[in-house]
Amino acid sequence: MAAMICPTCGIEMNHHAEKLVYPSAPHEASSADPVLGGMIEELHTCPGCGAGASRRAEPAAPARRQ
Amino acid sequence: MTEPGRALFVPVLLGTVRQGRMSLPVARLVVSELSRRPGIETELIDIARIPLRIDDAGQAIKDPTFSAQMSRADALVVVSPEYNHGYSGLLKHALDSCLEEYIHKAVGVVGVSAGPYGGTRGIQDLLPVLRELGLVAIFWDVNFSAVQSAFDETGALRDQTYLRRIDKFLKELVWMAWTLRHGREHIALE
Repeated sequence: MAAMICPTCGIEMNHHAEKLVYPSAPHEASSADPVLGGMIEELHTCPGCGAGASRRAEPAAPARRQ
Repeated sequence: MTEPGRALFVPVLLGTVRQGRMSLPVARLVVSELSRRPGIETELIDIARIPLRIDDAGQAIKDPTFSAQMSRADALVVVSPEYNHGYSGLLKHALDSCLEEYIHKAVGVVGVSAGPYGGTRGIQDLLPVLRELGLVAIFWDVNFSAVQSAFDETGALRDQTYLRRIDKFLKELVWMAWTLRHGREHIALE
């Protein structure tokens, strides 16, 4: 995924954490990673001002057997 | 320990709404001790003043002011009285209203009790909750036992030995807060 840019400083934010969150509504169930059982929320922090931001990670591509 | 640039913001969360709560002078004392340290900004956040509904829970009831305070925070002190061997239900209600605001930030717990154990049982119950919220707990605690005797009628601390314990607690918390801020801002996950 593209780097997150701080809306205040205009610089690239640091991706420092990923939190597993579980579906809380039926419409979210299809977004859950089948291996992890939930969705990954990415946490980013700006090295300039310290502001935090988050976004839902893109689902992982299914693993393929060779 | 200080670093150039932005001050650390370390609010103190008063984790009870009970009438006559003796955790209030404890929280004020911790705010006072934090305020003496260079490079630190703090404030007392009283969960009784956070307008949270009780007909829903979790992030659905997020209060924008509390959310902004937690987003700005580099570390958190939770002052948690022990009620019936546990922590306050409304403290959990308030903590659960945020999530991403806490992640990779330091937390320390000050236990309070009328009995002899200084809130240790409530702290033990609270620690796994704090971990799941993404907070990083330090190993120093402060334990106020027989809190009804710890302060005089003006709210002044009677037993000065608490100040040394608070000093040790805050030293570790501040170190962890600087370290985690550096990590959040400069060390990528992969």
